Amino acid sequence: MTVTGIIGRICMLPLRLIISACVALRIHPNILTFIGVLINFAAAGALALGKFVTAGVIMVIANIFDFIDGKVAIEMGAVSAFGGFWDSVIDRFSDISLFIGLIYLYSQLGRTDYVMITALAMMFAIMTSYTRARAESLIAKCKVGFMERPERIVLFMIGAFTNRMAAVMWVIGVLSVFTVADRIILTYRELRDARREAVV
Amino acid sequence: MKQVATLPARVLWNAFFWTYERATWQYDVMVFTILAFVWLTPPDWLRDPMASGDGPIGWFLRRLAE
Repeated sequence: MTVTGIIGRICMLPLRLIISACVALRIHPNILTFIGVLINFAAAGALALGKFVTAGVIMVIANIFDFIDGKVAIEMGAVSAFGGFWDSVIDRFSDISLFIGLIYLYSQLGRTDYVMITALAMMFAIMTSYTRARAESLIAKCKVGFMERPERIVLFMIGAFTNRMAAVMWVIGVLSVFTVADRIILTYRELRDARREAVV
Repeated sequence: MKQVATLPARVLWNAFFWTYERATWQYDVMVFTILAFVWLTPPDWLRDPMASGDGPIGWFLRRLAE
């Protein structure tokens, strides 16, 4: 058992209760997804105002909705292709809104350097999702690279609660570049191997 | 001998070309490395717009210099 595994199991205990409550109340998972993005917009607003701890608390609440929607869909038997699509689209809005909140804050402070760092982190965070979605239209699976959405969200929370958002932007930026590169490399290799096999 | 020589290169490549699942020991190492960078790096080194100070590393270096 690893440390991150133990933390994950501990976090799952209260989430199980919330999932059960949502299933009992028959709340549709697509509505949960939508509520999540609205709360994330509020977190982005708090980031824009430089209220990091408030933003952190709001992000925790928003991401509970974000996390449980898929699980609720499974337990309610409401899994659908549209639900998956809706979730992916709404997740991008949530992601981008948090970055925009920070970009607004840094621009208000006259810090062009961090406006650029945050904008680049946002670009590669979006490309992380896009490369996987596009790759999986060509190959079976493209799940490589460290910096996926859950890691980004947890890092945003850590940065907000401990006032270390600048360091977090560097980490998200650099590791998202690696993740996008990993996905391009994997897709290239898989397609090249498939082409060779087809020739032989 | 050849394997020993290529070990650091392999570690670096595996860290870059990340294929490990969550909740593995490799994932734990990566998480601790990231947290160390985020929490220990002095905000002044990164010219953090919202935080200031030396942080734990700066404090340690200052003590060392005294």
